Amino acid sequence: MREQVRFLLGQEPRELTVTDPTMTVLDYLRGEQRRCGTKEGCGEGDCGACTVVLGRLNDGRVRYEAVNACIQFLPTLDGTQLLTVEDLKRPDGSLHTVQQAMVETDGSQCGFCTPGFIMSMFALYQGTPNPPQRQEIDDCLAGNLCRCTGYGPIIAAAERMYAIGDRTGDAFRRLAGQTVDSLAAISDQETVCVGDGSRRFFAPATLDDLADLVLAHPDAQILAGGTDIGLWVTKQLRILDTIIYIGRVAELAEFGETDSTIEIGAAVTYSAAMELIAGHYPDLGELFRRLGAVQVRNAGTIGGNIANGSPIGDSPPPLIAAGATLHLRRGKDRRSLPLEAYFIDYGKQDRQPGEFVERITLPKPDAGTQFRAYKISKRFDQDISAVCAAFALRIENGRVAHIRIAFGGMAATPKRANQAEQCLSGRPWSEASVASAIAALAQDFQPITDMRASADYRLRVAGNLLRKFFIETTQASAATRVVGAGNFAHV
Amino acid sequence: MTNSETGLKERQFKIVGTRPLRPDGIDKVTGRARFGADMAAPGMLVGKILRSPHAHARIRSIDATKALVLPGVKAVVTHEDFAEVGADLQDVLENVMAQDKALYDGHAVAAVAAISAGVARKALRLIEVDYEILPHVTDVEAAMAAEAPVLHDDIVTSGVEPAPKTPSNVVHRHEFGHGDVAEGLAQADVVIEHDFKTAATHQGYIEPHACVGSVGPDGQGELWCCTQGHFWVRNTCAALLGMDVSHLRVTASEIGGGFGGKTTVFIDPVALALSRKAGRPVKIVMSREEVFRASGPTSSTAMTVKIGVRRDGRITAGEAVLKFQGGAFAGSPVDLGAMTAFACYDLEHVKTVAYDVVTNRPKQAAYRAPGAPMAAFAVESVIDELASKIGMDPIELRLKNAVENGSQSSYGPKFGPVGLVETLVAAREHEHYTAPLGANQGRGIASGFWFNFGGQTCVSLNINADGSVALAVGTPDIGGSRASMGQMAAEELGIGYDKVRTIVADTASLGYNDISEGSRVTFSTGLATIQAARDAIGKLCGRAAQTWGISPDAVVWEDGYARPAGANAGEFPPLSLAEIAETAAKTGGPIAGHCEVNAAGAGVSFATHLVDAEVDPETGRAKILRYTVVQDAGKAIHPSYVEGQYQGGAVQGVGWALNEEYIYGEDGRLQNPSFLDYRIPVASDLPMIDTVIVEVPNPGHPYGVRGVGETSIVPPLAAIANAVSAAAGVRLTELPMSPPRVLRGIDEAAANGKA
Repeated sequence: MREQVRFLLGQEPRELTVTDPTMTVLDYLRGEQRRCGTKEGCGEGDCGACTVVLGRLNDGRVRYEAVNACIQFLPTLDGTQLLTVEDLKRPDGSLHTVQQAMVETDGSQCGFCTPGFIMSMFALYQGTPNPPQRQEIDDCLAGNLCRCTGYGPIIAAAERMYAIGDRTGDAFRRLAGQTVDSLAAISDQETVCVGDGSRRFFAPATLDDLADLVLAHPDAQILAGGTDIGLWVTKQLRILDTIIYIGRVAELAEFGETDSTIEIGAAVTYSAAMELIAGHYPDLGELFRRLGAVQVRNAGTIGGNIANGSPIGDSPPPLIAAGATLHLRRGKDRRSLPLEAYFIDYGKQDRQPGEFVERITLPKPDAGTQFRAYKISKRFDQDISAVCAAFALRIENGRVAHIRIAFGGMAATPKRANQAEQCLSGRPWSEASVASAIAALAQDFQPITDMRASADYRLRVAGNLLRKFFIETTQASAATRVVGAGNFAHV
Repeated sequence: MTNSETGLKERQFKIVGTRPLRPDGIDKVTGRARFGADMAAPGMLVGKILRSPHAHARIRSIDATKALVLPGVKAVVTHEDFAEVGADLQDVLENVMAQDKALYDGHAVAAVAAISAGVARKALRLIEVDYEILPHVTDVEAAMAAEAPVLHDDIVTSGVEPAPKTPSNVVHRHEFGHGDVAEGLAQADVVIEHDFKTAATHQGYIEPHACVGSVGPDGQGELWCCTQGHFWVRNTCAALLGMDVSHLRVTASEIGGGFGGKTTVFIDPVALALSRKAGRPVKIVMSREEVFRASGPTSSTAMTVKIGVRRDGRITAGEAVLKFQGGAFAGSPVDLGAMTAFACYDLEHVKTVAYDVVTNRPKQAAYRAPGAPMAAFAVESVIDELASKIGMDPIELRLKNAVENGSQSSYGPKFGPVGLVETLVAAREHEHYTAPLGANQGRGIASGFWFNFGGQTCVSLNINADGSVALAVGTPDIGGSRASMGQMAAEELGIGYDKVRTIVADTASLGYNDISEGSRVTFSTGLATIQAARDAIGKLCGRAAQTWGISPDAVVWEDGYARPAGANAGEFPPLSLAEIAETAAKTGGPIAGHCEVNAAGAGVSFATHLVDAEVDPETGRAKILRYTVVQDAGKAIHPSYVEGQYQGGAVQGVGWALNEEYIYGEDGRLQNPSFLDYRIPVASDLPMIDTVIVEVPNPGHPYGVRGVGETSIVPPLAAIANAVSAAAGVRLTELPMSPPRVLRGIDEAAANGKA
């Protein structure tokens, strides 16, 4: 066991004895370090004013990703490089290209959100060699709120940084070798354990160590990206006694494909898996693009979204429709179950004490299977779904040979629409069958009314989305999406 | 309109109208700029506020005994720790700290100062408040009903005859207008009347309220805070704490957005009261949830508008009834809504009636042109429908009725030179207006008006010995005003922009300055800066005269140099500002210019917005495709920051129109106090906002400046409603036009056979 958290702050190695295991990175920066450039606007990962950039070793290189410091616990920094707005200036004191671009386009008005924008744009600049399209810029900025500018000058800055900058001469690229060495020097296979004795934070580095720890501490809270659990602490002020963090476990961060499946480790972030998944399920890739914003996708994991059991998580409905299998592990024992069987009731999942989610298997779609996923929310980006819907359909000989329909936001759990599926299965894929399936949705679901949508609206939209799916699968040329082009936007 | 027509001297500007970099730009991109929460003081404690979980409750008692014995707790305050204040500040005091009743979910009840946030939070849980829960009301029309629970026993509706005898939630009835509406409507060919509703919204500044207050054992206090008006904060805090005004010095931090919401006090007097009791500095930072629950959102409204028009496009009469709830205390901006509702139109018969209503919600604060956007939404929606009914282009209809120089305004005074017609013409000529639209798309247009204000202003301009200039102003910079003040000073003095450093001085360094509100800063602080520069120029010329041994009257100031006025004055080589400054010690000491003024003559301003929207008929979702703002700036000092104000106002309007709303539950509690559930627009929600700056100079300002910050949020609600209604094929009368509301509108129209 290692009792210190090791990371790089800028280029400086830090070794901390952390007594408050749920101290946020933001409180560490603003309180202990007095690095006040990183701001707190909401404390719950919605506004992006606290955006910092984490550098992580990835195939012998440093990959830079923006995350929200306000919901990231300090011990999760172990083995990473933390960059804040104060780190960007050049050694001679002159501005980094991103900062210079922002000044030149008047991207700051009040300036409070500016450091967060700068850091999001910095991550884009490091990770994207070519000048980005407007959509890439929108994606980069979707997790940063600005109330003064209307975003125009900030988008202009994101374009301008490519016009004025010499990317290859960028100080962070020039120091990359040194950073890789420094990160390699602080990474090890030891389990990190910090805390004050009564509250402990474990960060094992291997899968077996994780399995042992979870078994030994069956009441522990398992933590992955923390994009939800962070809020339990910052917003609900909950005290978490024992936390087991899976983010250092290399095996769980693995993902890849076999001939017939896509395998996703429980600690794989949305950002990491998006490209592979989108290659086989373009619509699911697009849905992930709208899940949270880039800061959330860089931290949040598909495994965590499932394990957490939220009825409004966006990944379970499409994964259920696609026929995903969940793999759980307890000690040395492993078991697998269809994803939909994991969700028992509100707040209740089929996970035993000492057990944890290890992996998800997503079958590759058969030739001939049509898959669509839709997210309905008040805002296109960074919003909770009022309704999330996913459909998988295969037609043989004019009849529905395979249909799976799953919804989020319609019940206490992510759930299949069994009655609606029955109305379609074996029937012609026709207006009449779809109409009966739409009617059957009222038997499948009795949604609730809340501030995001009324029960009536949810049911109505669920039916409309099924109809939209029907139109998209029968009239290839019909314009069914308000935003974006072709199949790639979900409205 | 040319300058000569407005009586302004034709002037070729060198720096005004250019786009130099802002002096605060680099600090803001490097994290060096210090905002409200960035200050720390030695020995500082953390202050936290206990807030009512009830919408309406009598406070029988507050017992802090257990909290006070918790190790690390240094002070607890309640309303008893504040001074008695006059009637003008009673509501502010009661809003800062509840007295006998908690009036809304989130109302401050007590506060604690402790050595850490954790201890302070624990202490809050140990404070025992005995509440008697009372029935509550949060809806404006429900609050007006006879059976509604009454918030204040001492509010009896004023402005009605005969005067009522029983208390009510209706504080006041206002009436504005002229002519005879009934007579006007009788002349109309088409009369349209609609009811409208708008939800309460929040300014949504990204920086939560934050302050550090410190009161020493000698009673001298200091406060660092993010505010739009530190002089007002000083006066108010001093009154609430029973201090002499001169015993409190307030420094305004950088401000992370305000939009009107930082024109009052919430936490500042509490931090000072805690500090006075604890004997140590106290910092309070609101959480985002506190910002939503307990700062000052805008009013929710219910409105009825009736307008008549002749077939030739002449409006014969307009009438509006506006009901605004302003939260738990009197003072919703319904009067301003009523005054601005018909301000765009030259009407013979017009009447607006306005009801100021209290409800169990947080006390509303100003939000960018307070009251006007909602009224414009209602009026401009009806105007739009009238145009369609009589088959007239909506810009044409507006042009036929637009106010001009000399028009009688609907709220009283006659207008001087105004730019509404110019904005309408520019909108009509803009390529946007005739661009093609696709299926499920609609175009909306609306105009809007705002008064703009002047007010008390004091600036000091110091000429340094090296020829650089320090300009001290007293209005916090909320939109780039340090740059525009620097430009005006440099223009007047004839020196480079980079020679002027503008700072926002603390309250001990200048005379009283009104708040940065009412779009007044570029106008009044600008006017004062120009006057201060001219004052300094007079002194510079005097020093030159002294050096040359000629009469001061024989010296003129041109392009940064003192010169002899003519051949008769003698022949001397011109003296630059720097040369005069260098020898100032020998010619009479420091040189400075000052101006103290209560600025009058703020020019009103008008805007016209064009919007294209698309509606998904299946889900009811509306998307803004294109947006163009046309607005009269009088004279744009720094065009980029003028455009910034145009874009920012339009975008706040987009949020207000489509998504943003305060949602209260049956229990009277706010359901969505977070940015996750209170949706403000992100980059992908918006097109790039096009802007057109129209310049019809304001004769009340030396350069013709009109305020620009607020007018930009007046037309958007209406313009977007007109666009979305056109796209959906149904008139939408309730904001926000969230997908469920739009879908319901489409459904109802289909049911009525209209769609």
